[in-house]
Formats: sequence, C-alpha cells, structure tokens
Amino acid sequence: MFYISNQTMKSSDRFNLYYNPRRIFLNTRKLSPIIILVFLILFSTGCSKKYEDLDLNMYKYRDTKKLVKFVYDAAQILERDGIASLDYFHNNRELFTTKDHYLYIYDMDCNNIFHSGMENLENTNLISVTDKNGKEIAALTLKALDDPNNPHAWVHYSWWEPGKFYPVPKSSCHFKVTTPEGKEFFVGGGINYPQEEQEFIRIIVDGAAELIKKKGHSALAEIADPTSQYNYRDVAVFAFCPNGDIVISPVLEDSLSQIQLLECADEVGHKPFLKALNGLKTNDSVWEVFLVKNRFRRELIKKCMYIRKTDLSGDKIYVGAITDLPNPP
Amino acid sequence: MTQKNRKYEYSVNEVPPTGQLFVLSVQHVMLMVMSLCLPILFASQLNASMEFTASLLSLSMLAVGFGSIIQSVGLPFIGSGYLCPNLCGPSYFSLSLSAAWLGGLPLMRGMIIIAGIVEMALAPIVQKLKRIFPTYVVGLVVAMVGVSIIKLSVTSVFGLAFYGDAIRSVDIFIGAISLMIMVLSNIWGKGFIKMYCLLIGMVLGWLLALILVPEYWYSLFAVKSSPTFALPSFGPEFKRITFDLKMMIPFIVIAISGSLKSFGNLLAAQKISEPDLKEVNFAPIRKGLLADGLSTSVAGLIGGMAVDTSSSNIGLAGATKVVSRWISVVAGIIFIILAFFPKLITALSLIPKPVLGASILFSGCFMICVGLKEMFSHSWDSRKTFVVGISLIFGLSTAMLPELYARAPEFIKTFFTDPLPTTTILAVLLHQIFNLDKVFSRSKK
Repeated sequence: MFYISNQTMKSSDRFNLYYNPRRIFLNTRKLSPIIILVFLILFSTGCSKKYEDLDLNMYKYRDTKKLVKFVYDAAQILERDGIASLDYFHNNRELFTTKDHYLYIYDMDCNNIFHSGMENLENTNLISVTDKNGKEIAALTLKALDDPNNPHAWVHYSWWEPGKFYPVPKSSCHFKVTTPEGKEFFVGGGINYPQEEQEFIRIIVDGAAELIKKKGHSALAEIADPTSQYNYRDVAVFAFCPNGDIVISPVLEDSLSQIQLLECADEVGHKPFLKALNGLKTNDSVWEVFLVKNRFRRELIKKCMYIRKTDLSGDKIYVGAITDLPNPP
Repeated sequence: MTQKNRKYEYSVNEVPPTGQLFVLSVQHVMLMVMSLCLPILFASQLNASMEFTASLLSLSMLAVGFGSIIQSVGLPFIGSGYLCPNLCGPSYFSLSLSAAWLGGLPLMRGMIIIAGIVEMALAPIVQKLKRIFPTYVVGLVVAMVGVSIIKLSVTSVFGLAFYGDAIRSVDIFIGAISLMIMVLSNIWGKGFIKMYCLLIGMVLGWLLALILVPEYWYSLFAVKSSPTFALPSFGPEFKRITFDLKMMIPFIVIAISGSLKSFGNLLAAQKISEPDLKEVNFAPIRKGLLADGLSTSVAGLIGGMAVDTSSSNIGLAGATKVVSRWISVVAGIIFIILAFFPKLITALSLIPKPVLGASILFSGCFMICVGLKEMFSHSWDSRKTFVVGISLIFGLSTAMLPELYARAPEFIKTFFTDPLPTTTILAVLLHQIFNLDKVFSRSKK
C-alpha cells in the first residue's frame, strides 16, 4: 500500500488515485454486506414459487409453458378479485395481448365477456361457433374443462389472426374460475402454429381409451369423426386389435388399404407397432419412437407414437396416436 | 521437464504444479461435460430405464476418459501427444440411434467398433497426405473446425433446447455476460485470471443464471436425488455385440467424416502447440487418428457411445496459452473417476445452456483466427483464392441451405454433409486440379 499527502498531489494524480481500479476493488470490500444483501434479495425473489400449484412438467416447449402461465395468471386475477376485475381486464387490454397470444374470458354459457385480441366478439354468444373444418370450438372447450384427464383443457382448432384473412392452426388452454361472488367463468388463450406436444396426444388417446371402455362399439364412430377432439391437424386417434386388425385406421379407410400394422417398419427397419405390443404386455401404455423421411430435410425425422390398451366389449383393443418429437436445434 | 517457453503459460510437454494442473483440468472437464447430454438423450429416445441410462452414461464417460488419456499421454505408437481431449461424438448420434432401434444396444456396439476400425485403418493414409495438404489448406481446415461449432454455440447461447421453441431474453443476457467475463478475463487478466478465464466465466455465469432464472435453481434439486457413488450395472443388452451388413456403409461414411473432423482438430492442436513448425508434422496426426479410432472401438466394446476429439477444448488451450498435454490426461482421469459419482455428474450436467454456449463460442473464436492466420501466412495467388473461395462457399452452403441438399442427387448428399468435411474434400481436390499446369511443367523438365 502507499500513501501520498494530499498537499503534494496534483489534481490529475488525485483523480487517478481516486479512480484507480485497484482502489475501487479494495473499496468494494466495505460494500460487501450490501452486495450480499442484494444477492439475497435477488435469490429470494428468483426462488419464489409463483407457479407451485401449476404442473408444467408434461410440456417440452417453452412456448406451451408460457401460454399456460399467461392464462393461469389471468385466471388467478379473476378468481381473487372477482367480477370487479373484469374492468381491469377491459382497461388494460395491452397487458393481455402479446406477440404470440391473447386472452379471452367467457361465462359458462359461452357468452364472450372479454377478448383482448378481437374486441368485436365481446358480448356475443359463441356456443354454436365452428371452425372451417366444422369443429364446435365452444362445445369442445366446455367438454375439455370437465375432463380430469385434460388438466389445462386443451382444445385444437383452426382460427384466424385479428385483421388477417387466412386460417391458422391453433391450440388453446383454459382454466375454469369461480369468482368470490360464486359466478363461474372460463379464461383461455391460444397459440397460433403451436408446437406438437406429446402431452396433446396423451390426452386424446387416454380419453379415447376411456370412452371405448365406457361406451363400447358406439364410441368408435365418435372417435373417428374428424370434428371430434380425437382428431386435430395431422393427428388422429386410431385403434387396432392384438392381431393387428385395424378398427380405426391411422391413415385412411380400411376399404382403400389393408395395412399390416404389426409388419409396418420405419426408415431404418424398426417395427414400432410390434415393439409397442411387447411393451404393452407389462404396461398399460407405451411411447415408441420411429424415423420417417421428410423431403425437405436431409436427415430422418423422429416421430413418436403413444399406445394405450383398453377393453372393447370384453375384448382387448389398442388405441393410439402419432405426433412429432421435439428436434434439437 | 522442458525449458519454460514464454509463448505459453505451460507448453505442450510441461507439467503444471499439482494444484494448477487439477484446476486447469477441471476447466477442460467443464467444457467436456456438454457432450454428456448425448447418452442421456439417446437413452430417453429408446425409452430406456434409469438403470440403463446411468450405465450408458458411465460407460461413455469411461470411453471419453480412456480416449483423452491415450490421445495425450505420449505413448510411442499411438496418440498425438497434444492437449486434445475426447468427448461423446455428436456426429455418431443419429446413426447410433438407428442401429439401436434396429438391433438394440448390441448392434450399436458392433457398428461403433467397426467405425473405430475404419478410423484406425485411415490413420496410416494420412502420412501420405503431406503433398495434398499445403499450409493454406491446413489453415482453412483449422478455421472450419471453428466454423463447425457455430450452430451448437449460438443456439446454446440463446438457450434453445428444441428447434423452433421460444427464446428468453434472460438466457441471451446470461450467455452474453458469461462470454464477456471469459473474454475480458482473457484479454485484461494476467496469470491465474487469464489461465482460468473460462472457469471464471462459467462459474460466474452459472451463479447469474441461478439468480435470474428460477428454473435453473429448481433443476439443482435433481442433484439431491442422485446417488453419491454407483457402479455401472451390466444388463443383458451390455453383454452382446452384433453386426449388420445393412448398417455397414452408413457407419463407414460417418467414420470417414469423423476422421476428417479429427484430422482438422489434430492439425489445430499442432498449430497451437507447435506454432514454429514450418510444415505439418504428420506423424503425431497419424498417431492421433489411430488413438481416436481405438477410443471409438473401445467405446463400442465396453458399451458406451462413440467418442470424438473435442475442438472446443483445443480452442480453450489456445486461448489460455496453456497447452500442456498433461491437462488432457488429468481431465481424462477426472472423467473416469466422475463416471462412478452420479451426484457430481448430475451437478455438472446442470450448467445452464447459455453458459456452455458462451464457453464453446469463446473457444471457437480462437480456432477460426488460428486457421485464418495460418492460411494467410504465406504468399497468396489467384489459385489459392479460387481453392479457398469455392470450397468455403460450398462448405458453408451445407449449413446454410440444408433443404437444398435434401433434394440433391445421392452422390452430392454423400460428400456434401457438413461444412468441415465438405470444405476439406473440395479444397484438397481443387488444389490438385488448379495446380495441374505446375505438375505438367515439372514432369516436362
């Protein structure tokens, strides 16, 4: 260390000494309690479990998790502050409209109470609205809200962006809210061009398996209906018997093509159905990965299949669906 | 011990003091752990059990450790003797997965053994390549080693886990700060700060990530549930080895491509460790390729994933001016020890992606510049302009226009795979073609 008398120092020396990085570093030791305090505050705020009650582990993509959190936050406001909070939503539309999604609130009769993206829909009853493929969106949403197997009430349909003129694929999640006044609403938000989550097919396959068990043969037509929740975008629930006979085809009508499911092989010769059936000997459901070609990619694309076993009027039957797997960047 | 070379903190044959040797090795280990996501991803895509995943991870780590040791320890007939650690080879990932789907782990093991043998068979040929690899082509190949990590490093800095997913600003911030700490420690720091610049950047970056992103903090709970010590368990799939003729050609192609990549890495390691060499010394390169092939075969034999030389670690060595091969040996030993301590592995595998991305980007900068300096260190003429220009344009196009190559004729698809092998093959070929006039005039004389 060194000492220079103030009287003998030129002002430039004093400046250099004062702003000497070494000196600044040494002085920071005095600041250490403050630095520690700042770190503690940052840690405590960083570690707060705002979403402790919200299980998002089933989702792979951040986009999906972000949407669920976005809708959940709004549902929490409505649940906490009740009907009075609707003014808050109306007065702060910009808070509930982001680049990727917007928020809407309906009562349980499907009257639109608030729509941050399409204001013109407010005060309209949308119970009978269908998308361009004939899907009854509101009815499917009410069904999803009552389905314990679909915890975030996902509904998949075709919609359009505010001010645009072309259809976009959409997946929306919903939360049912009971306000302190006892009134019921549902809060929802969707994402355009959504990523295909594995959880989405888990929900529809488990739902279809349950339906077949409950209703028997009469469930098959409902599952095969392209406007039902069991079919969206390129995803379709299919069903087959243990010997490979198709009950609901994964691609097209049986009359046009007799697919030997158990013999089907992927691009490297792997037989996913055969392997899945081996897994189903000891499990109720299995995930199986396989490789497919894509004209626009030089490498093979990974897809996955989820299959669950169930009973069709006392006989064993397998229900499944196929979706994309997340690819590394 | 050799005379201390002032160009380096520790030169290639120098042994740093024990404490420093350990910390420097840990610094390299932290960079190597990034590749451990491959066995985990591999097992998850096979729907394998936790026990299988743990065993595959341990055995892959043993192979990486073994490979790093024999590559650098300085054995008489095998190993380059440069600081050039191994890691789980990303280039083998997709093909290994295909083999495992087709014939389970036994087939993957068999095919990896074959790939290793192919790499070993290619090693002696390298000795004959002296004429076709002039200095500027060597420089180009080294620069392309740096270029080849662009995708991995940038997507990691952005914290991207899956193709097309959302990017968080906070991840970019963490990556940028980590990178700045590494770079500023390197250019302004002296002694320890300079030597440990990557380690300092990674630790501070990790701390910042823990403070800013609760997700990173919660992920640490996985450490608690991991056992402290565990031996790999050898299930039935680890007891058989099978082969399949159908998989032979794809594995041979990937082995050739892997050899070219390792060739580039070893050239870079030589440039960094022995910059005064007037021309490439092919003997250590040949021995290095032999070690690379042997480690790959050993990986298949013991039931781990295929291994490869690590370009990031070579870049780190160059950036810190610590090129002692003993660091690679100790890093290998640490990797072997870590293979039996899942708790530690889990902790290291939780280093946030943006921090890892920053460390790879940091190493890549050095590789690119060493290559470019080497390339332009000699006189330049229009022949070289076209050799470098054409091969670089086509090489980079494989990364920039993957959809184009997806629709290309099969023979183009086979050779135009990634920037590094494509640029190398084209540069070597074009150099020969553009210098045919010189060959004719020499033969006339």
